[in-house]
Amino acid sequence: MKLPLLLLALIAVLSFAGPPLGTALGIDLNAVDLLDRFAGASPLHPLGTDELGRDVLLRLLAGGRVSLVIGIAAALAAAAIGTLVGLAAGYLGGWTDRALMRLTDAIIALPLLPLLIVVAALDLNKLGLPAALARSDDISLLRIVALAVLVGWTTAARLVRGATLVTRNRDFVRAARSLGAGVPHILRVHILPNVLAPLIVATTLSVGDVILLESVLSFLGLGIQPPLASWGTMLSNAQQLMSTAPLLAIYPGAMIFLTVIACNLFGDALQQRFDRRAAVRS
Amino acid sequence: MQMTNVFREKGSLRGWSAGWLAPLAIAVMLSAPARAAERESLTIGMTQFPATLNPNIDTMAAKSYVLGMALRPFTVYDADWKLVCLLCVTLPSIDNRLAVPIDLADGKKGIDITYTIRPEAKWGDGVPVTTEDVLFTYEVGRDPASAVSNAEFYRRITSIDVKDDKTFTLHVDKLTFDYAAINDFTLLPAHIERPAFADPAQYRVRTRYNTEPTNPGLYNGPYRVSEVVAGSHVLLEPNPHWAGPAGHFRRITVRAIENTAALEANLLSGTIDMVAGELGLSLDEALAFEKRRGDAFQMIYKPGLVFEHIDLDLDRPALADRRVRQALILGLDREAIANSLFAGRQKVADSFVNPLDAGYSADTPRYKYDPARAAALLDAAGWHAQPGGIRRNLAGEDLSLELMTTAGNRTRELVEQVLQSQWRRIGVDIRIKNEPARVLFGQTVPHRHFDMAMYAWISAPESVPRSTLHSSEIPNAANGFAGQNAPGFKSAEMDRLIDALEIELDPEKRNTLWAEAQRLYAEELPSLPLFFRSDSFILPKWLSGVRPTGNQYPTTLWITDWTAQP
Amino acid sequence: MIRFTFIRLVEIAAMLVLMSFVIYALIGLMPGDPIDLMRQADPRVSAADVARLKAVYGLDQPLFARYLDWARRALAGDLGYSRLFAAPVWSALVPRLGNSLVLMGSSFVLALALALGLGTAAARRPNSRLDAAVNLVCFAGVSMPTFWLALILILLFAAGLGWLPASGIATAGASDLADRLRHLVLPVATLTLASIGGYTRYVRAAMREALAQDHIRTARAKGASEARVILHHALPSALIPVTTILALSFGGLVSGALVTETMFAYPGMGKLIFDAVMGNDYNLALAALLLAAVVTMLANLAADLAYGWLDPRVSYR
Repeated sequence: MKLPLLLLALIAVLSFAGPPLGTALGIDLNAVDLLDRFAGASPLHPLGTDELGRDVLLRLLAGGRVSLVIGIAAALAAAAIGTLVGLAAGYLGGWTDRALMRLTDAIIALPLLPLLIVVAALDLNKLGLPAALARSDDISLLRIVALAVLVGWTTAARLVRGATLVTRNRDFVRAARSLGAGVPHILRVHILPNVLAPLIVATTLSVGDVILLESVLSFLGLGIQPPLASWGTMLSNAQQLMSTAPLLAIYPGAMIFLTVIACNLFGDALQQRFDRRAAVRS
Repeated sequence: MQMTNVFREKGSLRGWSAGWLAPLAIAVMLSAPARAAERESLTIGMTQFPATLNPNIDTMAAKSYVLGMALRPFTVYDADWKLVCLLCVTLPSIDNRLAVPIDLADGKKGIDITYTIRPEAKWGDGVPVTTEDVLFTYEVGRDPASAVSNAEFYRRITSIDVKDDKTFTLHVDKLTFDYAAINDFTLLPAHIERPAFADPAQYRVRTRYNTEPTNPGLYNGPYRVSEVVAGSHVLLEPNPHWAGPAGHFRRITVRAIENTAALEANLLSGTIDMVAGELGLSLDEALAFEKRRGDAFQMIYKPGLVFEHIDLDLDRPALADRRVRQALILGLDREAIANSLFAGRQKVADSFVNPLDAGYSADTPRYKYDPARAAALLDAAGWHAQPGGIRRNLAGEDLSLELMTTAGNRTRELVEQVLQSQWRRIGVDIRIKNEPARVLFGQTVPHRHFDMAMYAWISAPESVPRSTLHSSEIPNAANGFAGQNAPGFKSAEMDRLIDALEIELDPEKRNTLWAEAQRLYAEELPSLPLFFRSDSFILPKWLSGVRPTGNQYPTTLWITDWTAQP
Repeated sequence: MIRFTFIRLVEIAAMLVLMSFVIYALIGLMPGDPIDLMRQADPRVSAADVARLKAVYGLDQPLFARYLDWARRALAGDLGYSRLFAAPVWSALVPRLGNSLVLMGSSFVLALALALGLGTAAARRPNSRLDAAVNLVCFAGVSMPTFWLALILILLFAAGLGWLPASGIATAGASDLADRLRHLVLPVATLTLASIGGYTRYVRAAMREALAQDHIRTARAKGASEARVILHHALPSALIPVTTILALSFGGLVSGALVTETMFAYPGMGKLIFDAVMGNDYNLALAALLLAAVVTMLANLAADLAYGWLDPRVSYR
């Protein structure tokens, strides 16, 4: 529990503090230096430079910021949407439940990667998004978050629905209902807290999944726009250089690996803690 | 008791791995003697798999590559960029009287051209190649329902006269300087394909190249296709009825591996012998490969016709000003990019005409890296330096432009980031917004929704730039967004030069026209010329005779020159 | 139960109709089509040719009309022609489907077998060093980008040691089994490593729950051997949740593994679906995607029914 959390905290702190620090030190992480490509480690560039002569350490940290932001934002958004869907399906039941669950089934049943690519290629202007937003720099980030949410919300939805179904018919909920409590109140006060534990675990785990998904999207050429760095783009760019500059691929690969495994181990530890608490309570 | 259980599990584990290892071990042993026979077979890796093998449906580099070994075109440009006959006996010219200009009824000029098919040419089932095939191919090409991609060629031929089994005359309704080039006229075997053409609309489905691609009668080159595994590989074997010099290899496998990192690994592991330059590693990948493993292979870098450039939308106020366009190119150190990213293997382009081309003019104005002049031009154009670094005009607008290219193309994305960094230094802010190729070419470029778009034009030797620079080719709703003059370049002078170039038969006069067109392009800069792309061929040391052409005709057309040293 | 099954089958059919339209519309909304790309690659293709070819391939019709046309013919059993494969959809699908079944099937069986072993071993001694090790291995497998793992395996075993071929399904022209198997080893290993973690965790959790049940304690008290306890008492109830992943994995057998197939140039369904979607090959993309969907949904239904059979406490309303 402690170790993965510490590792995650360390990665997060470095990722968020590194780039501003670099700027303060006068190192521009996008500044190209064609005379200093593939440089080895030096005091100025502790991890050397990449194929365009940019500082690898700084880009790695900046990439971490992007990957973590994408991972956390997408995981939270997916959890939120999934919770709403799950609550609605589980509490209301009947046709709402059926329709929503068949929708999740459909999403699970389809191989999503190719369809994600279709979504990634959609013309945002045509979909009625304001031109200013559709053309902004962050749009490629938003796209990836949106894609990850599109895939990810089903897990949370199923989880919350299941827990809601169980809780709905428990005595205290029945009692609250008979006392005239409204649906939002029951959901918020009685059901949500009972769903929270598995939801937190699932969300933690999905941060790692999203970071992996981002790397796969980069691999397929649908990552974020250069010169912005993310671990996924750094890794898929470096795979062609595997035989010449293997370190360029090893660093982002290792960062992804460490972060995802830390997320997973942390989620696992949380799960065990919740399980134990539940066991104690019962 | 607990122990037994653990053992059983372990036992089952061992059983699994043994089950997988046994065939593996046998296979490893089997593979050793296979190496001795290697020099009789050649395995080529490339990044694309051909969708169809029908020569006239769909244009695709992977298909040209495979068919180069199996089908003979009438004429092609060879490695010296000379037009040569492959299936014909003599190249027609006005001098040898095989080409005769004629006056047409509407006052324009046409030409009659006579070709003779090589007497020994036969299809792989022994049936001779005859004018019957010529007439059939013409019929297919003329039919609007037949899905032939380049029908313009067939539309220009008003009729064909057949003299005998081998000789025929084309009547063409337009006299152009390259009248003798009928490179796209790849014959179809009438005796096999005619039944498939019974319903022209169904031809693309029923063509034997799709339904039975290993039928030997479909091929008339030195090799024939003997196995097709869709998405994986094509196997070619010698054509027994080929009368020319025989190829050295008894089996040639063309294997498709899309991921270039995997392609490299396949080369290193010996799964493939070579990487086709036409569809292989990008130049920077090949250079990286050479650095590490180059001594075990032959590396050939061949500068070619693929012209990397940046289209500028001339209707954007900032880019409509010629001074801004010139400043943009003066602010780029293209030499430095060529020397560092491409190790000098790829040349800076001064215009759309390749130095290897007959029409190239050495007098074309050149833009050397000159940030001071760039700054002066920008000042003159009303874009003034600001404390923040980005220039601004009197209206308070930043000099900020959007640069697009094909997402996922690593080389272009690298170059793009260098450009962004260099332009930043002269006070131009660049925002990168890349799109997948199909979006960029299907929507953004033809609809002209860009400030700057970096991509390539692929042309042929002495290809007149009508589709890219003539004002009638600006894509718009009326022409179905089909033109390729995406910058929206309107120059009466350029239009005149293009019209004249197409019909000028005198080489001297044509060179003058070419030189003028290049000068005009370099002065006006409707697009910013970057590089002529180089293909990188990675060949085994024992292979010789591969001569990259640098044009769109693949090396495989000369497959019979390829030999293996022991 | 029959009523339940019937309703679910009707729902599945309705879902398929809906999905077919959504997929069709999605592909159609993507800007650009293959003819646009062809024009880009070949400047000799003129504007007139572009218009003519779009008409030949039916790309000039409105989206909805094209969909109706497709649906009418699909209902009559004609899945149409794949432009990308230059073959009828069915004959383009079948060999790829076979390849995918072999690849996904063998890695699935391998991963599941290993997972049953590892998961049971870990569950029997919770919080032991073995448990922690198994846990770490599981997470390590799922925490690596697949293309990265594949590349490392290729570099190690194909390029470095030269033991195995780096790509493809077979040497051209060869048809012996040993050759096929050699080509399978690396992609199967990649997929197994990537999926074993998830399965093991399921098995471990299910096994732990099963081992904590009363009847296990009773069986142990009666002096049943440990092997008997595991195999006869714990495993059956542990298999119930495992059927769920079994069912979910069924779709994968049909939809393939895009990244692994790309890295190993293995012609399977994942690459086929990807290429079909990207290449606007509607007929092929729809057939393949719907096939994957129907298999997954039927497998889900089967899993639900199996629940009832394996666990009498579940009832169908």
